[in-house]
Amino acid sequence: MDFAWSDQQRELLDAVGRFAREQLDYDVIENDRKAIFNHEAWRKCGDFGIQGLLVPTEYGGLGQDPLTTVAVLERLGYACKDNGLLFSINAHMWTAVSPLVNNGTEAQKQKFLPGLCNGTLIGGNAMSEPNSGSDAFALATTATKTGDKYILNGSKIFITNGPVADLLVVFANVDKSRGADGVTAFIVEKGMPGFDPSHKIEKMGVRTSPMSEVFFENCEVPAENLLGKEGGGAFLFTRSLTWERGCILASAVGSMQRLLEKCIRYANERRQGGQSIGKFQQVATKIVEMKMRVESARHMLYHFGWVAGHRKAVYLEAAMTKLHIADAWVKCAEDAIQIHGGYGYMTEYEVERELRDAIGAKLYSGTSEIQRNIIASLIGL
Amino acid sequence: MTQPIAKILVAFKSVPDPYEEAAPGGSGSTAKSVINPFDEIAIEEALRIRERGEATEIVGLTIGPATVDEQVRAAMAMGVDRAIRIDDSRALDPYAVARILHAAVQKEAPQVVLMGKQAVDDDSNQAGQMLAGLLGWPQATFVSKVEFLDNGDRARCTRETDAGLEVLEVKLPAIITTDLRLNEPRYVSLPGLMKARKKPIEVLTCEQLGVQVEPLTTTISTARPPKRTAGTRVESVEELVAKLKEEAKVL
Repeated sequence: MDFAWSDQQRELLDAVGRFAREQLDYDVIENDRKAIFNHEAWRKCGDFGIQGLLVPTEYGGLGQDPLTTVAVLERLGYACKDNGLLFSINAHMWTAVSPLVNNGTEAQKQKFLPGLCNGTLIGGNAMSEPNSGSDAFALATTATKTGDKYILNGSKIFITNGPVADLLVVFANVDKSRGADGVTAFIVEKGMPGFDPSHKIEKMGVRTSPMSEVFFENCEVPAENLLGKEGGGAFLFTRSLTWERGCILASAVGSMQRLLEKCIRYANERRQGGQSIGKFQQVATKIVEMKMRVESARHMLYHFGWVAGHRKAVYLEAAMTKLHIADAWVKCAEDAIQIHGGYGYMTEYEVERELRDAIGAKLYSGTSEIQRNIIASLIGL
Repeated sequence: MTQPIAKILVAFKSVPDPYEEAAPGGSGSTAKSVINPFDEIAIEEALRIRERGEATEIVGLTIGPATVDEQVRAAMAMGVDRAIRIDDSRALDPYAVARILHAAVQKEAPQVVLMGKQAVDDDSNQAGQMLAGLLGWPQATFVSKVEFLDNGDRARCTRETDAGLEVLEVKLPAIITTDLRLNEPRYVSLPGLMKARKKPIEVLTCEQLGVQVEPLTTTISTARPPKRTAGTRVESVEELVAKLKEEAKVL
């Protein structure tokens, strides 16, 4: 077992750290307060190569393996404090780009992937509905085929990137009597008649990542925008969600590392009762636990990346990785506030935002409870 | 200008990453290396000159062991067309560097040599000037703006000096050393790095260049500056003046 990075991987990781530090870290407090999406940073990330990490080179990507991809995203999360931007990028990569790579027709790939890679196009997906979340395939949105078009009707909620998206992978049922077997994926593009993604939703964390409620009212989608097969949506969704689960918190591991270093610095600098607070066992223990969480999260992440590059079935690893990192991130952020005391609770110190940003990780891409259900069923319970 | 400059040579040095914590001491620095920031500005300027159609080829040049290939690839990822590394792992002083560069410049015969005004590790600010002296070429140092005139016969350079901005014209071939405000270097992108892996690095030795150098200076030791000690409070102006006179001896 070799844990060393190759020279090439190390160069990529160094380049990412430097890029993020110099190009992405600005206006985060202000953008968080006003819930502003940083378009310029998005375009730079595209130009730099982030969005296309896993995409084959013939479609404008970098054709990297999953392990390198998660390591790059981890480094990005370490060097860039804008967790919302990274959340948007993750949603784009795992819910729009990766389904297109895996299921798109040649024409669809040629049309959309280069733009999705280089930062000119923004993608996302639309699955959750007001009455179907964890029970995802119970969705109520319908698609009716008429000639060479599908007519979509219904509404979707909690759509990451909705307000700024150029395209969304939308799940709708072509035949409700077939249940999950009727679920079908479509590429819905901005400006298609009857498509309204403009109803923004305010949220607790990752506020720089825009979110909206999306409505389809006799929305006309040309048949060429069918993604995969009619009725193939459930399979497509499960496959892309598995990837999403394994990778979406890669940047969170970087964020935890940043928090850890920040806490060590603070615990060494801050003096109370004649000594650094890091010398008090209660503080030291918290930081040691933080270190243990970061390291174990990183090992699970890299292991997921390695497994994903070597075999197809990664359901168990993806669910365990997601569950572990989400819990670890929230706990790290909470402890980081405690270590910083009153200062940690203040916006200016940029610790409280991390906790608000982290909490969503226990909800999106399957709640922590759903991950436990998946793990339970996969280990024979 | 209609006739582009055929070749610009950019010399650059690997230095410890200024963003990493430096580790001075007997065992040497363990910090990560990067291209010297002033040299990165020189590379950026060369690329912009080429992108304006005023130069044809940009050749990168550095001196060091194989470990600096990472910075060579970073330069090629930025857009340098090809690169030469003079294989030498010794700690070289500015005169030794200038003599090696001199030999390489004679071999490559560029019209312009661009390089940083100084390296951020030793801050010597000598190699460019010495190179110009060895070549007998004109030099423009601390440059914050470069324009080419007369079909690439001359360069008009704006220098940042203590007295203000000085504009001078140099006849090519010339050495130009770059200051901080000349430009903001582009970042190395991942696609750029992947492409750079496919570009070859030409490795030469001093023997192959026909130059023998021995550094004239040696580093005896490096040490952290002493820690600042806490200040003392004075009760009166008289006491302050007395202390400045007797203890600090600055008055």
